[in-house]
Amino acid sequence: MNGFLRAVFLGLAWWLGAVPVRAAEPREELRVVPDRLELRERGPGSRVTALRFSGGICVGMAEGVRFESSDPRVLEVGPDGELRSRSPGECRVRAYWNQESAETVVRVLDTESDAGWSFVRHVLPVLSKANCNGGGCHGAVAGKGGFRLSLSGYDPAADHLSITREALGRRIECGDPLRSLLLTKPTAAAPHKGGRRLDTGSRDYRLLAEWIAGGAEGPRAAEAALERIEVIPSRWRLPKGGRARLLVQAHYADGRVEDVTRWAKFASTDESLLRLSDSVGGVEVVGYGEGAVTAWFSSRIVMSRVQSPFPAAAAVAGDGPSKTPWRAGNPVDESVRAQLKDLRLEASPLCDDATFLRRIHLDLTGLPPTPEQVLAFLQDPSAGKRDAVIDRLLGSSEYTDYWAYRWSDVFLVNSAYLRPEAVKRYYQWLRGEVERNTPWDQLVRNVLTARGGSLEEGATNFFAVHQEPESMAENVSQAFMGLSINCAKCHNHPLEKWTNDQYYAFANLFARVRAKGWGGDVRSGDGKRTLYNAPMGEVLQPRTGRVLPAAPLDGAPVTPEETRDRREILADWMTAPSNPYFTRTIANRIWAAFFGVGVVNAVDDLRLSNPATNEALMEALCAHLVKHRYDLKELMRMIVQSATYQRSSEVLPANRADGRYFSRYYPRRLMAEVLCDAIGAATGVPEEFSQVQLEDGELRKTEFYPKGTRALQLYDSAVRSYFLRTFGRNARAITCDCERSNQPSVVQALHLSNGSTLNGKLGAKEGAVSALMESAQDWSRMVESVFLRCLSRLPTDAERASYEALFKEVPEPERRSALEDLFWALLTSREFLFQH
Amino acid sequence: MLDFLSEHSGGLCGPSHLKRREFLQVGVLSALGLSLPQMMEAKSKGAVRPGYEDRACILIFNLGGPSQLDLWDMKPDAPAEVRGPFRPIATKSPEIQISEVLPMHAKIADQFSLVRSCHHDGAAVHDAGWQIMQTGRRFTGGVQTPHMGSVAGYLLGTRGDLPPFVVLPELMGRGGGNLPNGQAGGFLGKAHDPFALMADPSKPNFKVPDLLPPDQVGAVRMERRQRMREVVEKALSQFEESEDARLMDEHFHSAFRLMSSEQARRAFDLSQEPDSVRDRYGRNRFGQCCLLARRLIENGVRFVTLNTFLTVFGETTWDIHGSKPFTSIDGMKNVVCPMYDQAYSALIEDLAQRGMLANTMVAALSEFGRTPKVNPAGGRDHWPGCFTVSFAGGGVKGGRVIGKSDPIGGFPAERPVVPGDLVATVFQSLGLEHESHLVGPGGRPYPLVDFGCQPIRELFI
Repeated sequence: MNGFLRAVFLGLAWWLGAVPVRAAEPREELRVVPDRLELRERGPGSRVTALRFSGGICVGMAEGVRFESSDPRVLEVGPDGELRSRSPGECRVRAYWNQESAETVVRVLDTESDAGWSFVRHVLPVLSKANCNGGGCHGAVAGKGGFRLSLSGYDPAADHLSITREALGRRIECGDPLRSLLLTKPTAAAPHKGGRRLDTGSRDYRLLAEWIAGGAEGPRAAEAALERIEVIPSRWRLPKGGRARLLVQAHYADGRVEDVTRWAKFASTDESLLRLSDSVGGVEVVGYGEGAVTAWFSSRIVMSRVQSPFPAAAAVAGDGPSKTPWRAGNPVDESVRAQLKDLRLEASPLCDDATFLRRIHLDLTGLPPTPEQVLAFLQDPSAGKRDAVIDRLLGSSEYTDYWAYRWSDVFLVNSAYLRPEAVKRYYQWLRGEVERNTPWDQLVRNVLTARGGSLEEGATNFFAVHQEPESMAENVSQAFMGLSINCAKCHNHPLEKWTNDQYYAFANLFARVRAKGWGGDVRSGDGKRTLYNAPMGEVLQPRTGRVLPAAPLDGAPVTPEETRDRREILADWMTAPSNPYFTRTIANRIWAAFFGVGVVNAVDDLRLSNPATNEALMEALCAHLVKHRYDLKELMRMIVQSATYQRSSEVLPANRADGRYFSRYYPRRLMAEVLCDAIGAATGVPEEFSQVQLEDGELRKTEFYPKGTRALQLYDSAVRSYFLRTFGRNARAITCDCERSNQPSVVQALHLSNGSTLNGKLGAKEGAVSALMESAQDWSRMVESVFLRCLSRLPTDAERASYEALFKEVPEPERRSALEDLFWALLTSREFLFQH
Repeated sequence: MLDFLSEHSGGLCGPSHLKRREFLQVGVLSALGLSLPQMMEAKSKGAVRPGYEDRACILIFNLGGPSQLDLWDMKPDAPAEVRGPFRPIATKSPEIQISEVLPMHAKIADQFSLVRSCHHDGAAVHDAGWQIMQTGRRFTGGVQTPHMGSVAGYLLGTRGDLPPFVVLPELMGRGGGNLPNGQAGGFLGKAHDPFALMADPSKPNFKVPDLLPPDQVGAVRMERRQRMREVVEKALSQFEESEDARLMDEHFHSAFRLMSSEQARRAFDLSQEPDSVRDRYGRNRFGQCCLLARRLIENGVRFVTLNTFLTVFGETTWDIHGSKPFTSIDGMKNVVCPMYDQAYSALIEDLAQRGMLANTMVAALSEFGRTPKVNPAGGRDHWPGCFTVSFAGGGVKGGRVIGKSDPIGGFPAERPVVPGDLVATVFQSLGLEHESHLVGPGGRPYPLVDFGCQPIRELFI
């Protein structure tokens, strides 16, 4: 452990040192890829490419390169790297470009002695690439037109049976392969509803024909498994308009490497940046920023990352971010700064003190600062006052309320699933953990291995919300690893690496979680439930009817001798720093809480094919978490101390186009509960919560919440509130950040403008409006007070002048209504509704 | 298959972030009244059929589950415990016989057609039926599929100042099964939730909540408020670069527009109707909702869902278990049927007279039917095995019966129809291609109805 950590720190230190330096660009070098290639087929088809590399990153194709084969009897090379194999043997292909050259080795296999086409390695990939087994085609659960294949070929044995045996064996014709339905249908020689998927002249057509002619052999028992796939190049930097070609190689356990580019399925993670120019690896850069192309082959997925610098704005050409301040030694700033430089974006200046104070209060505690806090902060001359506020807020009880609430979204604290007393205990357990600042890995371990009574051990309620091993597995991976494995319940995940077997092996980790007592009917019962670990019990893989050894998703299976609770093994694997998903997920959740967008988006979608917008930043956040042993406050402190967090939302000409590289602060609507509490604080009239509404609309009284309880202090997402529902609180039905909506809507505008929430509070007998009226201040002081309460700042001179002019027109009896109107104007303004 | 959003999709479960964002954007646009380009786009991708621009739908949802055997699919030759207390009567259509408790239906039977062979395999629980019948699907795997009105609003966008999808008088309440009821935008997002009236239009002081400022805030104050707001709105220019902030601003402007919209005010103002018309619909909540639905469609709403009742508890509804807190068979005969008979026939007649029926489908659906045998309390219990729904207008030819139930009304005997077929039928009338795709959670494509479901084409011939 220590050795490992040290290695992480050393790596981090090296990396931090390396990035800002980035002296003169290293000299470009030429490379021919792939560096090793085996050809099975005669004739044209495969290719090699010559690429220019600079500092480990591909910076483009080598235009005008000349290729040369060392033995044209074995292999000929065309001008663009196209290969034509002639006879078995080995030869070198050398590329000449400017004054440089590079070479690669190509081996042409002896097909006579070779084992022919493999069903799993070749035939299924052909069908997958042509999308025969796609979800809209024969891969649908019910198949199409009577022909059924497993989705993307996850069940080779069943597929072989469908192809060779079903429909009276009409689908193949070994004696006359070209008459096989497997060939006449996709070429549209016979009527095919799916249209033409294959050309008669293509290599894949020939491959299928040869496989049929060879006896349509099924999956081979002893065939070496696919170990990994690789995409070349994996990183590149290209200007807009640049083009590149990707190669995909499959590495098998027997050491064999095959070029599978033509069967790989490519997808751009951001079509506004990268577009596929063909279906076999051609990519065109059409925008600016950082993105990736994913390649999928046989349930494996790899990513090739692309950087495309923004056009340099005239004003900052050659200068860029260095003009604006950065916090030395802050890992967030180091990695954001490096990326902005690469992408040629300028960072906005720091925000002013009032904006910072409101921002940090809202983000750490969910409450705006009080007028007194604002004035004190503005008058405080000390240099370290921002850090001091951060430290104070991190230690406040409002911090605990706010983050307990946010984590309750993840843990689904919801009376739609639990009895009231259990909801309360579940929440109180979580709040206690937040109050003690329990390290995140420990907190997750506590819930994963929870046992005991639901009213004594609040954490056990996690397993009352999710009562089947499958839903436990799905929610654990979604909540703590940002992985949606649900697709794999019925079939291999269509574009991810998770297989149907992995799903059930993972679910089997929860097979022995049992409970006595309350059964799960939320409308009745005492909610008392005792959770324990049974000594026996397995989850069956329904496809085969067999038990798969329980195993964490990517981890080693649990041995039969193991006697510990399987969930402890899960917790060990889950919270190990080597688990790439766990740390990234919590780091990303926290980042997104401060910036509105994640480093990876969507926030809880950490699948491999979803790249971070700034991988170095993500790694820096993770390293900080590991270094501080998952102390979330330490990560938050590092984030909010950074210049990146403290930037103004002001737009510069040289960062106008940026929406995700954090060159400025992005305004976002306050979340429903924060908005509700902020209106309560500004008007001095808190919202009241007295009813819980179940999913079917049933209303129940609750006495958990005395007057003055803030929305962020509610245990539960089922507490009835028109306001919170309209503003899109997280309903906590499933673990998904997407359940919360901060999207503005017309109904919200109508409710703020005309509804009872705001108008009722403004008209209330007791509250800020009445208090101000009684204080008998002059209009100028009133305007100042209202600004401090609502917007946490002083009015500008122009605003003072405008409002004083407006108030001059107001006759004496209308003074109160005019004051209400001023509140209304500020509380419906975007400056109030948004974090900015 | 028409996959009109697929150009953004990286594949089946490809990068969901971008797509979700994009379709939320689209949703927001529809709320803004910028829907024309969106509809053009959907049309150019083949999801919306040309020539159907003026179609609309009123979905009457008969909460509780009306008894097919006592109303629309009578079995006078069956034993007493099956046929129940009522007798069939002849109607204006030679093909249709209907219960004596619906005399006004009989007079307009040439205008609507019955489908007597509906069934579904969901639980015999109200909420389960609500979600299946309104979205065409049972919610599984945490995925909530959208109400058909949300889909229509999403694909067709708005016409005029009013939102495209309105629920009257309120969203469905409690059903007893603790399940989501399907009256929402589901995975299309909150932007596509219906605009729910949340008020009773038969009340003398009826007004739309939140549509207008409170009484104490008159036009003068509203104007002052907006002037005051403009001052502070100028402060932060950077909001113009933030998509959400820009949208919020536009929403406020839409809200202000709606508040001052003559069209919106007119649409909801039932006092503009002559007393004779209001009386014809019936001076009760359901009757006045039917009238309001017609006014809303006239003023550009594309889809109105009208909940006949709000819940099945403590209200006299179609839920005739025969015992408390549910409804007795007499309660249905004396309270529910007269109200429903009067309002439904008024709506159909009124639409026909105004020439709106050809473009407006009126679908009357329910979560299920009732058990073939009368229970010991003299009522009937939940029965999704076979029930009757009706369609009128929107291209449907009236006066006919589709499908047939067995001799005791227990199961379909001919042409079984499932909820997805009914939803496809509504989409057919609205000109939506039921095979086109929506983008679901995780980027998974969802056809408008499940594979295999088809519109009931006989209705349209």
